[in-house]
Amino acid sequence: MEGILAIWQRDLTKFFRDRARLIGSFSMPILFLLIFGGGMSGSMETMMAGNMPEGTEGFNYVEFVFPGIVAMTLLMTSIFSAMSVIEDKDFGYMKEILVSPISRVSIAIGKMLGAATIATIQGIILFFLIPFLGLSYNIMALVQVIPFMFLLGCALSGLGLLFASIIRSTQGFQLTVQILVMPMIFLSGALFPVSNMPAWMDVVVKINPVTYGVDVMKKIMIDVENIPAPVLDAMGLNLTVLGQEVTMFAEVLFIAGFAAVLVLFATFSFQRANA
Amino acid sequence: MSNPIISVKDLTKTYKQTEAVKAINFEVEEGEIFGFLGPNGAGKSTTINMICTMLKPTSGSITINGYDVKKDKDKVRASIGIIFQENTLDEKLTANENLMLHCRFYKVPKDKRQERIREVLEIVDLVEVSKQRVETFSGGMKRRLEIARGLLHYPKVLFLDEPTVGLDPQTRSHLWEYILKLKKKEGITMFLTTHYLDEAEISDRVAIMDQGDIIAIDSPTALKDQLGGDMIELSTEDNDQALREIDEKVSGAEVSVEGDTIHLKVESSDAFISSFIKTLEIPITRLNIRKPTLNDVFLAFTGRKIGDAKE
Repeated sequence: MEGILAIWQRDLTKFFRDRARLIGSFSMPILFLLIFGGGMSGSMETMMAGNMPEGTEGFNYVEFVFPGIVAMTLLMTSIFSAMSVIEDKDFGYMKEILVSPISRVSIAIGKMLGAATIATIQGIILFFLIPFLGLSYNIMALVQVIPFMFLLGCALSGLGLLFASIIRSTQGFQLTVQILVMPMIFLSGALFPVSNMPAWMDVVVKINPVTYGVDVMKKIMIDVENIPAPVLDAMGLNLTVLGQEVTMFAEVLFIAGFAAVLVLFATFSFQRANA
Repeated sequence: MSNPIISVKDLTKTYKQTEAVKAINFEVEEGEIFGFLGPNGAGKSTTINMICTMLKPTSGSITINGYDVKKDKDKVRASIGIIFQENTLDEKLTANENLMLHCRFYKVPKDKRQERIREVLEIVDLVEVSKQRVETFSGGMKRRLEIARGLLHYPKVLFLDEPTVGLDPQTRSHLWEYILKLKKKEGITMFLTTHYLDEAEISDRVAIMDQGDIIAIDSPTALKDQLGGDMIELSTEDNDQALREIDEKVSGAEVSVEGDTIHLKVESSDAFISSFIKTLEIPITRLNIRKPTLNDVFLAFTGRKIGDAKE
């Protein structure tokens, strides 16, 4: 336990100490919010309105995309924070960790929690932009979504740890992750509804863990019950897998399971590592 | 051996093609400084990595402090401290933070942490800079901090893998002062590898490793005595002529040539040298008489100097 805490705290301390990284990581999601929230909302809403019957209340794209951008921030920060494993190897510190009596599973969990915490903090910081975007979310909903953001962060940093254990160089890691992260975002429903996809793409959407993360976040943050069915439909908030509508419980379970499996992978890789 | 703290039996490491370590056996006694010497690629690092639980042996057994390296990894890890060849500090953190993390990794009791950190910082004279980030430290300070860190959890054995590599001579000799101080004060067993053979002289015993095998193991004095006699090094105005003369007129000396220096190994230089100088007609330009060093021991055992890398 002490070991997990020590590894977690070290990564956090280093995050807050690295000014460039701090500023850089805050500006990226803000940029995305400006582009997607401000720039694209007009055309997206017109497009969506075409799919809806006359007279139904409009579709607020910014309200739709905000949870998606938060999820995207979680994805990018979690995975890139897992890169600290490769950096630790490059700078030799991983040896200090590996020769110590900390259990290997504690190393994996500590690293995962560190990356997930950093990601969650960044996600929460985006909440402060809500008033400036002309949005209003229920405060309780925002509070409720935070633990889930952390869980999603764990699953995604687990994914990052997996890449970090396979790829040895930071350059290779960045390249691979960029190639992987983009489709994971685009095919998750974070930025636009993914309800009417070609069959093969639909398969990718359904195996993408980010899809369920985004879906849960939207379900918590957007007041789903008071939205008419056609709008809900247009927003893609009726995710089905194999014809079955998925429950939030099942989604949370899936993400927790995903995180657990990845921690095991990471533990295994630390066990074999000779740094 | 009365009380071995490290005991290595038939330790072997085989990679696909090569046998890096060939069934070696040795023991290290509690409280001694054990020097581990050998040219690059001799299998030193492989051996140390296996002893430190960082590399899985192909076969054989290692026991440290009574724990089996294969079965009781965590207990072995808790019993040893390691100063690696390369820097393994977190340079973005302060000296204090680095030490505190180490305490937590090794489960040093909470109420003892501050006291121990203070204690090890005093040993290596870094108390004043303990709140500075490690990136602002000089090479020698970083090394000292690593030694301090290696001591925090009171290890039974401290491994020092090339501790002075890349440091200037002054810092090197300072560092040895710290290490010897430590040995006196704490009585810690030290397992040491170094390229600088003069530094290995402080060892109580040395093992010489070559091509995956341990070819000699004894105290530095015993090893040098084994060679026996004195070493005479000389240069002359015409070495070829000198060698011919030595061949004709001089007996009782082993002759070898390296570069423009002729080496003579003799039983006793006192009896030999005066008649030798009179005998030689070629003018001598340089003459040096010395006792054999570990370098000579190394040369005699391996046929080459330690600096000659043989991968």
